[in-house]
Amino acid sequence: MAETLVRLRGLELNLHPPPRPFDFRAMAGETWMLVGAVGSGRRELIRTIAGLSVPRTGYIELFGQVVERMNPRARARLRGRIGVVLEHAGLVPAWSVFENLALLVRYHRLVPDGEVEGYVTAFVESCRLPPAILARQANELSPLENSWIGLLRALIIKPRLLLVSAYLPRETLVAGYGVWTFFEEMVVPMRMTIMVDAGPQALPMDPKTDLLVMDQGTLLAAGRAVDLAGHPDALVRRFARFDHA
Amino acid sequence: MKSAARGGFWPVVEGVGALVAGPLTRLREELDFLAIVLISAGLVTRGQWRFLFRHTLQQIYFTAVQRAYIFTVVGLIIGALVALPLIVFGIHDPQLLGRIMHIMMYHQLDPILASLFVAGMSGAAITAELGELKANQAIEHLVAMGLNPYSFFVLPRLIGVVLSLLVLALWLNIGVTVGAGGMLSVYQNIPPTVFFRVCLSGLSHGSLALTGGMVVMQGIHIVLVQTQRAFRVNAYVDIPRALPSAFAQSFIGCLIITLLVSLLRYG
Repeated sequence: MAETLVRLRGLELNLHPPPRPFDFRAMAGETWMLVGAVGSGRRELIRTIAGLSVPRTGYIELFGQVVERMNPRARARLRGRIGVVLEHAGLVPAWSVFENLALLVRYHRLVPDGEVEGYVTAFVESCRLPPAILARQANELSPLENSWIGLLRALIIKPRLLLVSAYLPRETLVAGYGVWTFFEEMVVPMRMTIMVDAGPQALPMDPKTDLLVMDQGTLLAAGRAVDLAGHPDALVRRFARFDHA
Repeated sequence: MKSAARGGFWPVVEGVGALVAGPLTRLREELDFLAIVLISAGLVTRGQWRFLFRHTLQQIYFTAVQRAYIFTVVGLIIGALVALPLIVFGIHDPQLLGRIMHIMMYHQLDPILASLFVAGMSGAAITAELGELKANQAIEHLVAMGLNPYSFFVLPRLIGVVLSLLVLALWLNIGVTVGAGGMLSVYQNIPPTVFFRVCLSGLSHGSLALTGGMVVMQGIHIVLVQTQRAFRVNAYVDIPRALPSAFAQSFIGCLIITLLVSLLRYG
């Protein structure tokens, strides 16, 4: 039986007016796409699970542990297994791309110090990015390159949970290698749980795609797109169309 | 008319209350922040210390090593400027000159000048750098991925700036002594060796410890104010607003620390 990676119980997001509390569960290896109108609480939900916002009430369980009951050191260890991508890429502008990518690898001691350079270079190459990008300063990167390095920084720690609250660029830095292919080739084989609020048509959507439909800060429905297509709520049906996420 | 007077009275009382309570609230916030930083130091794992040590060395390089030249020039000029009024007043007694140097320069003005430079140069750089990281969500990303912002961003800067300020204050004292000694030897015919010996003989363990403690407090205050202001930045437009107010607050704090220590020393 698959492990429960994210469990939300009676969660009331910190929004105004106070939204209805809701429950949700995501298992290991699942990909959930957050859909809903602007201001529906998708961004706040990602931030709350990432620990950047405090919910009004309710519990967040990550990897089977209630986060707020953990001591700070255990919480930091747990957060070291979560990759996060927010609206801005959030790179340290004065550092090189290598230093930005190596920071969390070193901080969490994922590999011995002597192997960090090889690890980062191999990872960048496996993502089909030119290794020359590693030597460039982060403040010299184009917005597209910035977004990609931000995503790679979240992936390089080999997270078990990936939280994305950003408009993922549709094109990549390599011609003919789109974000969809990148996710299929690189991210899916990592077998992580993904919760993504990536904007319209950022990722492929088919009848089997798991959707989390939100409205006014609460969860309206969660399930496969094909199942939600017949949902009694018109809003859920509207967002369960396969042609956009 | 009476009600108008009453209406004018209470806002004044409220204003005076806010004026008194404001600095106390800021002091409490600063102590809270210091407590968080110290607690976070206890959460650093063995492997992360080496990592933080490197960042501390970087901070020392930016604050002390890169500024050593400026401090040398400033020290020599201020030393010469301090000697001029003494020459004008015709003070020849080396013992008296040494005493003046101790009370005026080593105990008060030099630490204030050192903290002024560090707050203006390294402190402002810290606010700008961390403010930018806050505005572009870099800090949020790293915090969400398990990095402790207090031990990673604040602690190395705190240790680095405190150690640098100690070295720079000492360096400034040397520069001032050399500058003043040079002027006095030219205009008063006091041999520099005699002047340096007199200046050195006035140093005691107690006075050094008190001045060192004062400089440490100033360094801690500068970093806490600047990093606190940086962490409050929400957008890029907040950074230019945060810089002058952080500088003013940190420098005023340094003056108050100097005043309190001087009262303790001489009061």
